Amino acid sequence: MLPQKRPHPDSKSKPPPLPEAEQKIYTSIKSKQSMGIWTADIKRETGLPNTVVTKALKSLQNKNLIKDVVNVHNRAKKMFMAVEFEPSREISGGSWYTDGKLDTELINALKRVCLRYIAEHKVTTMEEISRSIEASRVLNVPCSMQQLLEIVRTLVLDKEIEEFRSKGAGEFARVPSGKTCYRISRGKVGTEAGYLASVPCGVCPRISECTPDGVISPKTCVYYNKWLNLDF
Amino acid sequence: MISQDGVNLAVCVITAHFGDLVAKVCSCLLKRGSLSLQEIVRTTEFSNSQVKNCLLVLIQHNCVQAFSVPRGGAGGATKTVTQYMALFDNILHRMRFSKFLAIVKGDLGVQCETLLQGILGYGRLTFDQLMVRATSKQSEGSSCNVDVLRKNFSKLVHGHYVERCPRPEPFIAPSEEAAPARKRSSKFREEILSLEQQVVIAASLTDAERFSEIPNTGTDASVTEDKQDVTVGDKRKFESTELDEETEATISETEVLWRANFQKFVFCLKKKVCVAKVRSRKGLDAGVVLEAIIESSEQECDSSKIYVKASMDSILEKVRGKPDGISMTLELVRGILEDLDCSSHTEDCNVYYTIELQCITESCRKDEVESLILTKYGKEAFRIFGLLNRKGSPVETDQISDFTLVDKKVAQQVLYNLWKDDFLSMQKVSVEGTGQRRENFLWKLNKKSSWNLVLNHLYHAALNLNQKITHVVEQEHEALLSEEKLKHLKNSRTILELSLLKLDDAIMIFHDF
Repeated sequence: MLPQKRPHPDSKSKPPPLPEAEQKIYTSIKSKQSMGIWTADIKRETGLPNTVVTKALKSLQNKNLIKDVVNVHNRAKKMFMAVEFEPSREISGGSWYTDGKLDTELINALKRVCLRYIAEHKVTTMEEISRSIEASRVLNVPCSMQQLLEIVRTLVLDKEIEEFRSKGAGEFARVPSGKTCYRISRGKVGTEAGYLASVPCGVCPRISECTPDGVISPKTCVYYNKWLNLDF
Repeated sequence: MISQDGVNLAVCVITAHFGDLVAKVCSCLLKRGSLSLQEIVRTTEFSNSQVKNCLLVLIQHNCVQAFSVPRGGAGGATKTVTQYMALFDNILHRMRFSKFLAIVKGDLGVQCETLLQGILGYGRLTFDQLMVRATSKQSEGSSCNVDVLRKNFSKLVHGHYVERCPRPEPFIAPSEEAAPARKRSSKFREEILSLEQQVVIAASLTDAERFSEIPNTGTDASVTEDKQDVTVGDKRKFESTELDEETEATISETEVLWRANFQKFVFCLKKKVCVAKVRSRKGLDAGVVLEAIIESSEQECDSSKIYVKASMDSILEKVRGKPDGISMTLELVRGILEDLDCSSHTEDCNVYYTIELQCITESCRKDEVESLILTKYGKEAFRIFGLLNRKGSPVETDQISDFTLVDKKVAQQVLYNLWKDDFLSMQKVSVEGTGQRRENFLWKLNKKSSWNLVLNHLYHAALNLNQKITHVVEQEHEALLSEEKLKHLKNSRTILELSLLKLDDAIMIFHDF
């Protein structure tokens, strides 16, 4: 049996040196940290030819030094980042985005759950909503209070629920005065059909071209005829 | 400043009611501001007498107000010139006569409604003319009918539904900052607005004068007999006083002109809209209480007031006078007043509650615009618009997308569409980050210009509805129409007319309330 060579003290921690092109590209990518860099920008910064860049990027990916990430602002373009970094919110889009796409299914599911809880309780706070959802284990994925707050805020904007500051009395009696709380919108949920939106002119894309005696006019308007079933 | 869409709608109303000639004179005044007779003649190319007749019609129907201004003549001499100013608001009120009649019918009954109909139809009438019109519609007039007429007319005056006509030609003293006559730029238009306000104020009578009822002398036989027992001096004095009162009553009946008080009707409609809004948001009880506050308020007649104030006692009295409020307890009413965000204070041992009507009407405007955004641009746009309305300050694209949980690409497209249609303003900002220079976009809702934009759309839509109604009526009169088609056209006309009435509610929300 041959004696085994003593291993070099640094052989495991130091990777083999990269070829010059790969090193140049890797340095460029790493310098961008969590912001990443487009392929086109790599080519411009390094001044290397197309084929060299493409080959080097593939090699760096195989060596697990870089990864490709999806930029939520432009999903078609390739973007690279060093593996030790996580894409910034600006690139990833935030916690609601997966591979550059908004997770509408998760958002809608959370909205339904929050809405159901708020409907069951006259007046409720963010903490109560969060505790209840956690306790019910209705979600497969963990959901922070911040994420639930973002969901509830969209429900307020959609006018499905109303946001108040508790007065500490009456229906707000169990909520400390001044605390933000929520309840289902009273009256008609969402928004009522407006007067202008109820007539064809209100939503007409050609309203700016419409004149009394013009080519587009009330007399000749096809939308009016459809609205009144006057197509005869 | 009246927009072109507003002018077009006003001219359409005048054309429908008074014909093309009068409409052309009115159009000239609306577009160019106040003008003298000669200026109108020059602009319209009508004859002197034609213009005069058109102006008489417009003044009779409260669509134009005359006023005098001094004008420097040759050699430094100043002469007084009569100018004429179109009253845009009053022209648009002509679309609402059916609503005004419904208000009076509901409050005072059918007979008062009939009297008002006469006044609205003729623009302005003396009491004498009103009587002649009313009695000619019935069988042989009797003194009993005259008394009933007088009583009903009194109700209209007492309720502030009719008023004495304003001064026919007030004198407007020159303003020190008057722009030169030649300038017809935006500064001239600004001058028109302030001049209009001056004219309206100068022409207005005081409230005491506006609603001063016609004295009722009556002819009582017992009074004549009593005169026998009086001394000669007293008798002469008595006869002279009675004559004055009689003369005064005669003058009041034959010379004082009365017209509809549009301010009152606008306030009634404003009340109706506010109560409906509160009822839909906070329930029936809240609607009853709000109606009670407004009705017991001291500022009842003034539609320009942004808040109303009433004592708890008067609110309770009004609430319990309504069918839905009869069983309401003090605690319930107090709770609703708090829920309506009324402020309270104590004055002379009475608790007074004040509510800002402006908040309710602003909420109506916001809802109308949001409904339009939802229908025209979709749910994402509705959410984004709602966010920008709340923020009131510029917000960056990514922030908007994060806050509303709208996909970033979709958010960009929505924002661009809203900006293209002038609902939003946009600002480009360059940002340096990690060696790269990026352009960010900031978006902001400019409420005033958005609300004006919607008002112009409302004017345009109302004009279109008017024209479509005319077109459908023309089609109805075509020969060789089958019964089914005729019925269909009539149904269509009903839909159009109802839509126009509803659209007019929205115009009032943005323009009059």
